[in-house]
Parts: sequence; C-alpha cells; structure tokens
Amino acid sequence: MRINEFKEELGKYRCENSRICNSNELYVDCSKSNIEPIVVLLKNKYKLKFIAEFCIQISKEDKFKINIVFTNSREAYFVVLNYTTGDALVSMQNNFSQAHLFEREISDLFGLGIDGGKDMRNFVKHEIWDENSFPLRKEFPYKKKVKETYGIANYEFKRIVGDEAFQIPVGPIHAGIIEPGHFRFSVIGEDIENLEIRLNYKHRGIEKIAENIDANKLNLVFERVACESTIAYSEAYALLIEKMFNFKLSDEIKSLRVVLLEIERLYNFLQDISGICTDVGFSYPAKKLNYIAENIKQLLERVTGSRYGRNAIIPMGSNIAFDNENKRDILDTLHGISHRIKTITDVSLESFTFLDRVENTGVVNNDIAKKLMMTGVVGRASGVDYDVRKSFPYEIYGDIKKSNKIEHIGGVFERYKLKIAEINDAFEFIEGALNKIGTNIKKNRPVIKLEKGMEAISIVETVKGELMVYGMTGEDNRFDRIYLKTPSFTNWKGLTVAVLDEIVPDFPLCNKSFNMSYSENDR
Amino acid sequence: MKLILDRIKNGIDTIKDPICENPYSYGKIEVNNESCNLCGLCQKECPVKAISIMDGKLVVDSRKCIFCKLCIDYCPHDSLKMTHDYKMASIEELGEEFRHEVFSKFKRSLVLRAVDVGSCNGCFLELSSLGNTYYDMSRYGISIAASPRHADGLIVSGALSINMKAALIKAYEAIPNPKIVIALGACSFDGGIYKDGYSVIQRVDQVIPVDIYIPGCPPSPAAILEGILRIMKNL
Repeated sequence: MRINEFKEELGKYRCENSRICNSNELYVDCSKSNIEPIVVLLKNKYKLKFIAEFCIQISKEDKFKINIVFTNSREAYFVVLNYTTGDALVSMQNNFSQAHLFEREISDLFGLGIDGGKDMRNFVKHEIWDENSFPLRKEFPYKKKVKETYGIANYEFKRIVGDEAFQIPVGPIHAGIIEPGHFRFSVIGEDIENLEIRLNYKHRGIEKIAENIDANKLNLVFERVACESTIAYSEAYALLIEKMFNFKLSDEIKSLRVVLLEIERLYNFLQDISGICTDVGFSYPAKKLNYIAENIKQLLERVTGSRYGRNAIIPMGSNIAFDNENKRDILDTLHGISHRIKTITDVSLESFTFLDRVENTGVVNNDIAKKLMMTGVVGRASGVDYDVRKSFPYEIYGDIKKSNKIEHIGGVFERYKLKIAEINDAFEFIEGALNKIGTNIKKNRPVIKLEKGMEAISIVETVKGELMVYGMTGEDNRFDRIYLKTPSFTNWKGLTVAVLDEIVPDFPLCNKSFNMSYSENDR
Repeated sequence: MKLILDRIKNGIDTIKDPICENPYSYGKIEVNNESCNLCGLCQKECPVKAISIMDGKLVVDSRKCIFCKLCIDYCPHDSLKMTHDYKMASIEELGEEFRHEVFSKFKRSLVLRAVDVGSCNGCFLELSSLGNTYYDMSRYGISIAASPRHADGLIVSGALSINMKAALIKAYEAIPNPKIVIALGACSFDGGIYKDGYSVIQRVDQVIPVDIYIPGCPPSPAAILEGILRIMKNL
C-alpha cells in the first residue's frame, strides 16, 4: 500500500489528522486513549514494522509528545504515530518485546511514568544519579551536570534459583581492550541459563549536546557517537539535512560517499572475522586479517586524512578533495588485498577444528530475531531479509545493490559467512562506485541555514545495522530535538538469546560474532 | 599448506620502526604569528575551545584539539597550518622522587590496564590496533593486563561519565604502587566534544592523577606507542 493510500486508509480509524512530509514520512496525530488500538492495527493488519519510540518536549510546561515510528520497508516509507501526554506514556510492552528499552529511556531522561508497563527499572540512570533530574527536559539547562546523590534504587537482576545455580558477574571493566558494560550470567553447571546485560555506563548525553551545537558543526558530534561507524553516522546527518532541504547532490559526491561507506564496512568486518578467529584460537588468519584491516585504515588515512574517515562527509557537499590519484590508490590497494582475503578465509572454512567451534554455536532463530528487531548482519544471519541499502536506497545504492544475502540458521558460523560475503560485496560496490566518479571532486563546504520547525527522518545501514535519526529544527540554526535509534540498541538483546544453553567459554565467541557497540547504545 | 604458501608469497607483514614519519597523518596545528592579526574567528568557531590568545599570541592547545581543521578553514589570513607531527604526548609534572622510581622500574616493560570511561571507542580501536602485527607493541615490552592487580598502570580513554566514576576509582586503587596513568585522546583531558554533556561530571584528572596525555581524536597507534615509550625511555 502506497503512502497516499495508507493516509486515506487511516482516516477510517479516526486518524484524519495526518500529514505527509519529505515524500515518505507520514505523521499521524493520535490521542492517548486511542493510541494502543491503532498500534495493534498497524502491527497486525498492515504488518508494519515498529522501529523506535521517542519523546519530544513541546513546550516549557510539562507537555510531551510521544512518537512511535513504524516502517513499511517494501514501499519505503515511515509512519510516525504521536500523542501528547503530561505525565505518563502508554506502555507498548505487551505488543513489542523490545518496547521496554525505549520506554525506560524516556522515563529516565524525561521523567514520565510508564502506564501498564511490566519492566520499569531504571535504564540510563545508575544508582549514583539524582532521582529528580531529568536532563533531556528543556528546563534542565545545557552545561548543567547531574548531581551525585545515590538516589536511585538498586538494579534488580533476574535470579535463577536452584541447588547448583550460581551467578557470574562480569564488568563493567572487562579483561582486555573493551568498552564498559556489565554482564550477569546465571549458570547451572556449565550451561548458561540466563544472561542479562546492563549497559549505559558510557552515557554522555549526546542528544542534549546535539541540540545545542550549531548545525554546521553537528557532524562532528555525530561522528563521535561510535568511532567504528564514523562515516555512516556522518552520512546519516548529511542525509537528514539534505532531506530537509530536498537537496540534489551530484552523482560524483554520491559515489564518493558510497566508496567511503564501503571502505568502512570492509575494515570493520575484517576486524570482526579476525576477532572470531582469535576467539577460536586460530591465530594465522586472525593476525593476517587484522593486518589487512590496518592496511585499509591507512588507505582511509591517505584518502580522507583520518584513519576513520572523520570530517569527510558533510551535508550538501564534500569536505575532502578527491582526484584520479586517490582513485588509483584505492584500486591498487584493494586489488592486492581481495585475493589474499579469499585465500585466508578459505583456509578457515576448510579447517574442521574451526568449524567444530563455530557451527551451531550461538543460535538465534528467525522468530526470535524478528521479535527482538535485530537488524544488520546479525539479523540477516537469522533470516531477516532486511537491509536499509536495499529497502530505503540512499546515494547510489539503488543502482548497485540488487539483492540481500541472507542465511537461515542464525549461529556464529552464519554471521561469519555473511561478514565474508559483505566484504566481497564491498569490493564490488567500491569498484562500481569508483567507475561513476568521472571528474575530480573539489572540497566544498556550504553553509547550512536552518529554519524553525523543519523535521525529517533519515535512515542508514551502518556496519552494525539500521540507524534511524530523527531531527526537528529549532531556533538559532540549531536542532530542537535529535533522536538516534542506534542499531546496537536493539541488537544487544540478541546476544543474550544466542548464549543460552551454551557454555561460558563460548561467550566471547558469540560476543565477537555480534560485535555490538557499547558507545552507540549508551550515547 | 595453503597458509605456508601464503606466508612465503607475502613475506613478513610488519615494519621495523612504526614510529616513523607519516606524511598523511594529522598533527599539531601551527600558527604563523606574522600573518595572524588575532581576529578571534578561529577561537569562536572551535567546537572544543582549544584556541586561546595568550600574551598577544594565538595558542592552540593540542591536548584539547580534536583536529577537525575547522579553524584552518575559517581563518581569513591562512595563518593556521596543520603539520604531520603526531608526536604530541605531554608528560605532566611529576615529583622528582616519583619520577626516578617510575623510570627505573618501568624502563624495560610496562603492563597496562585499559579502562574506557565514556569515549566513542576510537581510542580503544587504536589501542587494539597496536596489538596487530604492523605495530606489534609487545616487541617494546608493552602489554595489556586482564586484571589491575597485574598492572603497572592505567590507560584511560574518554570523558568521565557519571556511571563509570566508581569503577574507575576502584580500578585505580587496585593497582599496586608505584603506578602511572596514561590518558588517551582529547576527551580524557577535558571532555572534548562531550564536555558540556550533563553526565560528564568531572575531568579524569579530578578523580585520579594523570601522568601523561596523548592527544588526538583518536590518537593514531604510532602516537600512542610514542607516548608510552616516552615514559619507558625517560625522554
């Protein structure tokens, strides 16, 4: 059903107040009393996919607008249901198993109650926080810090009771070079019965910072949400601004962006499969793949001036110059690498000790993956046929990305294979995109001038999965609200399912095959 | 068999001296004081307030800088220039006695415990890159410990988030004396781009003493290696 037809269709259910923005966003005004039936309708009858829920404060008084975002990935449009409330939001936890994440975050940062919720524990706020500070509210001034009053109740983990049951607490600081997060394993004998992950140790308040920085510099903040997806985040910001202004970019810059995005995918997935080999104890591929990833980072440094492609993609222009020499450099470097990756990964796929560890380990089946809203490679490994590059094609992906590669069992091995497939795809896309760059690209940094009240949603496939950004502009060339639904936010839960009935020593392997980001989850 | 062939074909995948000149790297920003007329435009545009005017001269604090090059773009007189000198690590004031103790004990090897207190993960990606065969930090006797009890020091990255404060203090206290603290990146100095975030309550050095700052956003593996070697070789 197209977006226009859907708008009329919704009229039947007393949702006449709706408007289409930016050609693929349908904003529907609902009320607190009828929101739940409409959500159920969208979910069950129209089979739309719930992807996020976020809150906007509409005035200085206690008035909040709750937005629930659905997508139709076949027709490529968004449906945003909203209702206003003063004190509490209507819980969707009965309808969506991951809704509690969004609701608990809103509850912590805006101070709203959760009507009818099952899980209402604190999420962002750890024990050290002040109970009554709600930092995302407008009356909480920018630059003010939250107080340390230890006003939050102790976090309750799920308990497994039994004669041989015990708990293994791990973290927040891990053994190695890993970001902080707390894992609570409940174990009976050797098998993991339950795993609960507590995150948000790195919460920095990026959404508040993004509301208070000039739009011309905001790409710097976006890039620093998660370093491993730097290019994808700056792309998401660029798409957001370009969508608001309905700006048409030249094909050359579009292709350059695809080249950078795919180079980012390349080194990330190389590091991921290298990590899987490390955790299995297969050191030759692990070391060599890591070395190749290092070469690609150095290539990125030569092209963009930063090893992670920082400050390269900016809205409505390009912050780097690109000429034939760079083009040849990329082609030469990748040409030497692609054959070697194939040799090394083939060896791992033929080694039966390697296969013994990875096959049928850490399985997440299709039903669960869909319920947990898993996206990206980890979703596709479980048979979720969804890739933002195909469903919501941006830049030149519409021309070059023809089909999604999916696997069905959903274990470590499938994720490993898919990551190799993504690497091979990336080589192909880079070559295809480079061919479309005919002329040299000059550095060009246009000034962004925002008007009040513009809003847009952009969506990008990062290395971890689907990233959705909502932006609404305010005064002074700044945003009034930026919301980021990061891929790791929902994908983390997949790991807790994958390790069930596995032994504790297999946990690092499962973890590495997911390789979710802590910093983009915590924001 | 295939692995042996691959090894023969490609040879050794490492380099002798990773701390070599890198003409593509970002580095220290230099000011040409002759053409600069102190208009203050760069100071206004700097997102992390790294630029200040001292004694009639423009000063760029490398420890705060995130190397976004905005100041260079905005400067109307082309007075600012980015060099490729990434060796910017700065040792903070240490007491003479302590300095002697540290340098005599740590000159041969250094075992570090890595703690991230709220960064974008960039510094840690670069730190783990140090373990790959290209840089291979273990050849210098540097390694990362799995427990603070086994460590000589702490390597911290990120702006200190309120939720990590207790964990950072515990990790620091668990390390036996004498201990050193290495801080990676702009946000571990004063919060960097997250400085004004509501949950970034303090600077790292207000909670634990920091001995050496390695600037960058993120600092490249070569820069981190050079900074750590500075402590070990008593440069």
